[in-house]
Amino acid sequence: MVRPTTAVLTTIALGLLAVLGGVVAMGLAGGVAPVHLAIICWLILAYTGSGLVAWRCRPANRFGPLMVLAGLATLASTLIWTSDDFLLHTLGQALDLLPLLLFVQVFLSFPTGRLPGRWEKVLIGTGYAAAIGGQLTAMALGGLDPHRIEIVHRPGLAKVVYDTELVLVSAVALAGVALLTVRRRTRGRALRRSLSLLVDSFTVGLVMIATLLIVGAFGGPAFPVIQRISLFLLGVAPIAFLLGLLSARLARTAVGELVVQLRGDPADLRTPLAQALRDPSLQLLYWLPRFGTWAGQDGRAVDRPEDPARVTVIDGDDGEPMAALVHDPALRDEPVLLEAVRSAAAIALRTGRLQAQLRANVEELRGSRARVIEAGQRERRRLERDLHDGAQQRLVALSLNLGVLQTRLGGDAEAETLLAAARTEIAVSLAELRDLARGLHPAVVSDHGLAVAVESLAARAPVPLRLHVDLDGRLGEAVEVAAYYDGSDLVVEVLDDGVGGADTEHGTGLRGLADRVEALDGRLRVWTPRGGGTRVRAELPCG
Amino acid sequence: MRVALAEDSVLLREGLARLLGDAGFEVRARCGDADELRSALRVEVPDVVIVDIRLPPTHTDEGLRAAVELREAYPGLGVLVLSQYVELGLAMKLLADSAEGVGYLLKDRVSDVPEFIGAVRRVAAGGSAIDPTIVSTLLSRRRRDDPLERLTPREREVLELMAAGTSNQGIADRLVITLRAVEKYVSSIFGKLGLPATGSESRRVLAVLLFLRS
Repeated sequence: MVRPTTAVLTTIALGLLAVLGGVVAMGLAGGVAPVHLAIICWLILAYTGSGLVAWRCRPANRFGPLMVLAGLATLASTLIWTSDDFLLHTLGQALDLLPLLLFVQVFLSFPTGRLPGRWEKVLIGTGYAAAIGGQLTAMALGGLDPHRIEIVHRPGLAKVVYDTELVLVSAVALAGVALLTVRRRTRGRALRRSLSLLVDSFTVGLVMIATLLIVGAFGGPAFPVIQRISLFLLGVAPIAFLLGLLSARLARTAVGELVVQLRGDPADLRTPLAQALRDPSLQLLYWLPRFGTWAGQDGRAVDRPEDPARVTVIDGDDGEPMAALVHDPALRDEPVLLEAVRSAAAIALRTGRLQAQLRANVEELRGSRARVIEAGQRERRRLERDLHDGAQQRLVALSLNLGVLQTRLGGDAEAETLLAAARTEIAVSLAELRDLARGLHPAVVSDHGLAVAVESLAARAPVPLRLHVDLDGRLGEAVEVAAYYDGSDLVVEVLDDGVGGADTEHGTGLRGLADRVEALDGRLRVWTPRGGGTRVRAELPCG
Repeated sequence: MRVALAEDSVLLREGLARLLGDAGFEVRARCGDADELRSALRVEVPDVVIVDIRLPPTHTDEGLRAAVELREAYPGLGVLVLSQYVELGLAMKLLADSAEGVGYLLKDRVSDVPEFIGAVRRVAAGGSAIDPTIVSTLLSRRRRDDPLERLTPREREVLELMAAGTSNQGIADRLVITLRAVEKYVSSIFGKLGLPATGSESRRVLAVLLFLRS
C-alpha cells in the first residue's frame, strides 16, 4: 500500500476536524445529548487518528486504513442527526449499523488488517449483508422514517426486518468475539500479554453494545449510561491497537519474512536486514578479531560510527562482538523490532562473519602476494640501477681511457696489442653485465614504456613474428613489467603456429607469468592443443 | 668543431672531454643533466651535442627527451645519444622522420677512439651514426620470403655499414674498395630490395632502417 506523506495526512486530519466541527453543530442542532455527542466524536477521532498514524508508520499494513475506515463510517453514521436535509439523513440512516461491524472487523483482523480465516470472512460478510441489506430493506418497506427510499408502505414488515437485522448484527459481533477467543487459544497471541489483556477488555465493550442492541430490538430498556461507557471503551481500543502495531506486530511479520529469506542462505545479508528494519541506509559490519577491525561484507576494513543511537552491536556466543548494524537513529524507538531482528539473524550473521573473514583473508593474501612481487621488482630495479651507475659506468670510463691511451702510444706494437686485448675483455664484460642487468630488470620498460620495449623484444625474436601494439601513453610500471615478461584492460596476446602442448605446470616460465599477472588481479589463459599452436592471453586491469 | 656534453657520470664526462679535446674538438659545455644542457645551448649552439640517455633526476628517459626536443629546436644541430643499452624502439623514436644529424650509440663505442670520433664528426656534419648492434639485430631478424637472401655477402656488408650511417667513402675505406664499386653495390642493393634510390646518405639510412624494421 502507498505510504502517505505527512502533508497528505495532515490535510486529511485537518479536513476531518473541520467535518467533525460540522457534526458537533449538527448534533447540537438535532438535540443529541452532549455526552453522547462527545463520545461519538471521541470514537471518530480515536479510530481515524490511530488509523492515520498506523498507516503512516506501517504503509504495507492494511490495519491502519481499516481503522480510518471504521472512523469514517462512524462519522458517516452521524448524518442521521441531520433533520433539515433528507438526503444526508437518509444516507446516515442507511449506514447506521455499519460502524459496529467495522469495529468487529478491526478486532478480528488485528494486527495484519486481514481477516485471518474463512470463518471470520463468512462472519463479517454475513454481518455486512445484514447491516446494509437489512437496513435498506427495512427502509424500502417504509420503516425507520423519515427518509426518501420508501417503496411500499409496510411498517409492520419493516419492523420485523429491522429487528432481525439487529439480532443478526449483534450475533455476528458476539460470534466474532467468541471466534477471537478460540483463535487466541489455538494460534497464540499477537501481542504482549499485558497489551492483549487490554484489548480483551475492549471486546467486553463490543459484547455489551451487541447485547444492548438485542435488548433494544425486543423492546427492553436502553441503559444509556452502559451504552456510553461501552462506546468509550471501544474508542480506547484503537490506541491500544496502534501501540501494539508499532512494537510487536513488526517483530512478528517483518521478522517472519526475514527468517524465510535467511533460510535461503543469501550471499548478501544486508538487503533482507534492511528490508526487515525498513532502513535502506542500513550498513552491516562484522567484527574480524584476527584483524582487530570492523569490516563490510566484502571483508574490507571500515570504520564503525561511534554514535550509539545508530549502532546496534550483536554479540557472538563468546560474548565478543560479532556484527554491528549501523542504522537510522529512529530505529532506537523500536527496541522490540531491533531485538527480534537481532535474534532472528544471529545464525546467519555467524555464517556471514565467516565469509567476511574469508574474504578478508583472501584480500590480505592477494595484497601480500602483490607486495612480495613488487618488493622483488623494486629490489631488481635497484640492482639494475646500481650496476648501471656503478660497474658499467666505470668499465666504460676505463675502456675510454684505454682507448685514449692507445691513441697516444704511437707505435709500440706490443703495448697496442695488450691494450686491444684489454679493451676486448672490457667489451665482453660490459656485454655480460648488460645481459645480467636486462635479466634483472627490463630498464627499457620502466624508462621508456611498453611500446618501445616490445618493439625491441620483437626485433630480437628468434622466429619471424608480427607485432601489433595498440597503446595510448604509459601504464603503471608493475603492469608494464608484467606485460613485458609476457611477451595487458591491457590485453597481451601471444600466438604461435608451433607444435602446441606447452607445459603450464612444470618449470617456472608460464607459471611465473601467471603469478605476475594474477598478483595484479589479472588473468592468464593458455590454449595449447597438441599440434595446434599455442595462444597465451594475459588480461591486466590498468586502473 | 664545437661540442657540448651531457653526462651525469663525472668519470665518463671528463674522459669524453679529454678524448674529444685530443681529437681537436672544442668542448664548450660539460653538463650533468638535461636542464644544464638546455641552458648551455641558449648561450651558444655548438655543432654537436653528446647526450647520455639516462640523466638525473629520474634516470629514465630525460636524455632521450632532451635529444628529441633539441633536434626540433635547433635544426642543423647534430645530436648523438649514448646509452648503456641500445633498443630499436628508442632508435626509431629518436629518428622520427629523419636520420639527418642523429647518432645513437652504445656507450662502449667510445673505446674505439677513431671510430667514435668519426661518428661524432659525421653527426656534426649532418650524417648519421646508428649502433651496429641495432643494425645487426635488424639484419638477423627472421622474415618470411626474406628479400635479404637475394643479397650477396658483399652486398650485405655494404648494407650493414650503410644502415649504420657510414658514408660511401667510409664504406670504401672499410672494405678497401673503390668509391665507384661502393656506388654500384648501393644501387644494386636498392634494386634488389625494391627501394627507391634516395640522394643523400643520411636519408638512405632511414629508408633502410624502416625497410629492415617492417
